[in-house]
Order: sequence, then structure tokens, then C-alpha cells
Amino acid sequence: MTFAPPIPDVPAPAASDPRAIDRSARWALLLLLASGLVWLAVGGVLALVHSIQLHTPGFLAASEWFTFGRTQAAAETALVYGWAANAGFAVALWLLGRLGGTPLRGLGLVKIGGAFWNLGVTLGVIGILGGDLTSFSLLQTPAYVQPLLLVAFAAIGTAGVLAWSGRRVGRTFAAQWYAVAALFAFPWVYSVAQAMLFALPVRGTMQAVVAVWAGQNVLSLWLGPLALAAAYYLVPKITGRTLAAYDLAAWGFGVLLFIGPWTGGRHLVGGPVPAWVPTVGIACSLLLLFHFIVVAINLRDVFGNPTGSTALRFMALGVAAYVLGGLIDAGTALRGAAKLVQFTYFAEAQTMLAILGGFTLPVFGAIYFLTPRVTGKTWGSDGLIKLHLGAAGLGLVLLVGGLAGAGLKQGLGLNDAGTAFAVIFDSVRPWLLVATAGVGLQLLGGVFLAVNLALQLQPESGGAAVANQPSAEPAP
Amino acid sequence: MKNSPLFFIALFGALALSFGALVLGSLRQFGQLDAYFDAGEGAAFPARAPGLAARGLLVYRDLGCASCHTQQVRRPGFGTDQERGWGDRQSVARDYIYQSRVQLGQTRIGPDLTNFGERAAKAGTDQGRLFLNLYAGQGGMPPYPFLFEARRIVGQPAKQALPVNSRPGYEVVPTRRAEALAAYLLSLNAGFTYPEAQPLESATEAKK
Repeated sequence: MTFAPPIPDVPAPAASDPRAIDRSARWALLLLLASGLVWLAVGGVLALVHSIQLHTPGFLAASEWFTFGRTQAAAETALVYGWAANAGFAVALWLLGRLGGTPLRGLGLVKIGGAFWNLGVTLGVIGILGGDLTSFSLLQTPAYVQPLLLVAFAAIGTAGVLAWSGRRVGRTFAAQWYAVAALFAFPWVYSVAQAMLFALPVRGTMQAVVAVWAGQNVLSLWLGPLALAAAYYLVPKITGRTLAAYDLAAWGFGVLLFIGPWTGGRHLVGGPVPAWVPTVGIACSLLLLFHFIVVAINLRDVFGNPTGSTALRFMALGVAAYVLGGLIDAGTALRGAAKLVQFTYFAEAQTMLAILGGFTLPVFGAIYFLTPRVTGKTWGSDGLIKLHLGAAGLGLVLLVGGLAGAGLKQGLGLNDAGTAFAVIFDSVRPWLLVATAGVGLQLLGGVFLAVNLALQLQPESGGAAVANQPSAEPAP
Repeated sequence: MKNSPLFFIALFGALALSFGALVLGSLRQFGQLDAYFDAGEGAAFPARAPGLAARGLLVYRDLGCASCHTQQVRRPGFGTDQERGWGDRQSVARDYIYQSRVQLGQTRIGPDLTNFGERAAKAGTDQGRLFLNLYAGQGGMPPYPFLFEARRIVGQPAKQALPVNSRPGYEVVPTRRAEALAAYLLSLNAGFTYPEAQPLESATEAKK
């Protein structure tokens, strides 16, 4: 295997004009992006309801559809399968088309698949609120919509595979590896979960082993790589600098691919499963640190921002959240720390950091970069972009910080047998209020982006050239 | 990485490796775990849940009870599970073999429920008390009023009627789902100690 020199997206002689590639995929990508933003809002509202219920248990309790356990599963599903999947598809397909140097093929399949995927997620979220949640974290969609999701995923993913296999540029780049890995890993993992948890359920706590393996892969090999694909493609493009120590990128990718899937067992520490399952998970969480270090080294230029690009600011926050999440996952995998944070809000903080930080922020950056190039129009309001950056960044800090603080308080309380649950509940309440403020800000940020996209798509907003964008990003 | 087939083989292999070892490996180790027959008691453990309790597990799942309650007692020294009276021994895989959808849970916003039935019996929490807690909520637990219905009193008030105020001439009674959920919760009992659940500490203490 040979690795490419660290200059992504060198137009090969035969490659088409990136503008033509972008425009050709306009409607398919806009369908995915717009659906994703609708789900971001739906997920945000559900997450807000759930977050309020954490400190005010009576909130909407009279309604069976919004009972506590269901709002959590529904919010998670809307955010992961609604927002993250749609937005991740859009970003991955876009960059695979560009790096392949040829217009995307199979866009009809993307549109049909996208429609059915969103139908599946809609049925899934309604099903969860109606009581059909599976009770497996990150795999909460009811069993009856999972086959539909798999088929729709295959239809959308086909365009990505075609862009990879039909690429005009011979050598490949880290962004492509991550994007293709994400498109490939999800159906692999999801079909196994479907077979072993729902079609022919395995016995007893084997279900928990399958569920943590699959759930971990949803984060590590699907959402994580989608965000990294965006960052590896856009950071050098926006900064105009080559990636630092690019030779290491292949190692970082390989370690994530081969070690990441093993780390899920750490959630079962102390549980009724063979002890080697959590032990392997803990050891692999530590080994995986290598991957996060490589990512931090490769993408370090994201923190210097010579062009003042807002897209790059989102990327910087996102890369920081991704690497921080990896460090925290490894730290809390250790038994001493796990004893404190297991079964607390801290775990929820980690999941939120992964979904709304490590995944969402780089993808926001990518959306701000790619959408004007796809539509050929500028963003409606530069102020809204800055407001979104502030809301998303501050919201994430409040949400994750609030949940983490609550988790530590709760862990200390749980580890003292004399502390009653009522006392723990009172002591974590202020932290949970902070987390609710964070969710609210996140939701607001998503609305800013949705409004801005609507402004951009207005027919009368004209066709101002992308190069005139005030945020002064380099032309495509 | 010019070589596409090699790339896809690596992708496939990476997942297959972890799946083979972690999932199939543990499946081989304890996927076929069976009940334990105790000659002294003349019975096999764990017992299968009675029909109503098995249906209650479905209610427990559909309400997402596992988002606040775990069902796993950890060993002494790892958390305060046993000091809190949640169980006299750690949970083992055999405890769960008859559960259609295992509800280990990930968060303890409320107490662990592994042994709820046994604990309730000791504390004198009967079905009526449990209904009241579900109806009105308790501490950090939300109320579940939709598991109950207000019904016109015909003749004598129902035995199951909750001692709460309702419209005149009406009474609040549990639905079938509430009855199933209560039956499930009160059936939760890990009283029998399997050989594999004996704490290792006892062997060392015996030597002393």
C-alpha cells in the first residue's frame, strides 16, 4: 500500500471541474441536508423535553407518549438516525464525489433511499413514543423499521461506493477511507444487531454483549469516521496548509478500524458477563488513544485559523470535542473511574459529547462550506452563522458539563451506601438545570442553521458568486 | 491504498475479527447457558416467570424503565450495591436466561430492581402500595397515571381501587398493564445462590 502525499484533492488531469461535480449532486444533497436539519430540530425538542424531565419528573408525565424512558430513546434516535445519518450521508457523498474527481452516479437511488430512510426514521420515532423502543442504547429503533432502514441505507450508500470504485483519481486520501468505512460499517453492524437481538434473539446477557458491540460501532465506526472524513478533507482545504504528519493518518485509521469495535465491552464492567469482555474493552479503549493522538496531530492546523473561516471554527471545536471524548472514554474505562461514573449521568454526557460534539460540529463546518458550492448561492446571513457557532459551542459546554457534573455528584452519592436517592436527586438538580440550558442553546443553534439554509434557498436571494462570501473561504 | 479489494477486505476483516472474538466467542462460552438443578431444593433455577409477570416485562420495556433502573448487582467492593440491600450476591449470567429482553439498564436514577420482589416482601410493600407509587410518582420517579383508569363505580367499589380522590361515583383502578407490571416487579427475585455466584472472598476468609 502506498500513501498519498499530503495534498488532498489535487485535480488529476482527467478530473472534472469541482463546480460541475457539486452542482450535479445539488438536489440529492439538499434533500439529505434539509431532512437532517428537520430531524435536528425534532431531536432537539425531544432532548429538551427529556432534559426537563430529568430535574422535573412530573413534566408531561401524564402523557404516555412522552414518558421519561421513551423521550430519551426518541431523542437519541432522532439525533442519530435522523440528523446524523442524513447529514453524514450528504457530507460523505459530496466529498467522495469531489475526491473521486467525477460527478456522483446513482443520485436517483440516493433520493429514493433518502425518502425511505426518512420514512423509516419517522416510523421509528413514532413507534418509540408509542412504546416500541428496543431498550438497547443507540439501537432503539423498533425492530419492524430496521429492515427498511437497512435497504434505504444500501440505496444511499451505493452512490458512495460507485464514487469510490469509479474514481478518476487513482490514489486515495484519508477523507475517503473514513467516508467509505462509515458507509460500509453501518450495514454490517446493523444487520448483525438485527439478526442477533430481534430476529433470533440470543439468550440472556448475551444480548447485552451484542448490544454494546453494535452500539459502540454506531459511534466509533459510523458517526466518528463521517466527522473525520469531513475534517480530513476540509481542514487542509480551508487552511491552505498540508496536513501535519500525514503519513501517520493511515495508522490512525487502521487503529480505529481494528481496535475501535472492541471497546464497547467497557460498559459491562462489573456486570453479569464473562469478565474478559469488559477487560478487553478497557484495554482496547487505552490502545485506541493512539488513534485520537494521530487525529490531533494530523488536524492540529485547525486551531490556527489564518483565513478567519467560520467553517473552520466549527471544525476546531469539533476536533477538540472528538479528541476530548476519546480521552474521557479511555479514562473512565479504567476500573477505578468506572466505579465512580458507571450508571450515572456521566455516561450520557459522553454520548452527547460524541454525537453533538465530535460528530455534529465538524459536520456543521462541512455544511457551511459545501452548501453554497452545491447551490451556487451564498448563505443568507453571516450573523446567523456566528450566532450558530456561539450557540452550538456554548450549548455543548453547558450540556456536557452539566451532565458530567451531575454524573460525578451522583457517582459520589451512589458509592456511599448511606446517601438516599432523594438526597442524590436534590444534589444533582442544579447541574441538570445547566444541562437543560445547554440543550436549549443547541436547539436554538440548529434553528439558526435551518433558517439560514431557507434564506439561501429563497429564489430571490440571487446567484451571488461563492467567492464573494464574506467569510472569505477559498474558492472550491 | 490504491487497491480497492484489499481495502474492502480490511474493512470487512476488522469488523469480522471483533465480531468473531467478542460476540461469537462469548456466545460459545455462555450463549447456551441452562438452568441449574439444585438437588437439595428439588427445583431448577432460575424459575420461569409466570405468564402475567412475563407480560409485565414487556410493559417495563415499553415504558423505558431501564433508563432509570438497572437490574444487575455488582460484586462487593465494586460499588455499594450489596450495602444498599439490592442483593446478597452478585448477578450472574444464569439469572437472565429466561428473560425475553434483558433489562440490565445503564443508569441508576432510581434504585436497582434485581431483587425488588424479595425486598418488597421484606419491607411490606404490597401490590396496593406499588400501584399507589406508580400512580402518584415517588421522589424522582415520575407518576404513571396512564396505567390507571377512572371507572364508574357499579355496586361495590373494586378491591383493586386506589385510595385516591376521583370524581364522585368514580374509582381509580389499575389497567391490565399496571397489573402485569406490578406482577413482574414483585416477581423479581434472585434469592437462589448459584455455585458461580459464590463470592471468591469466602474461600480466602475460610483459610484464615
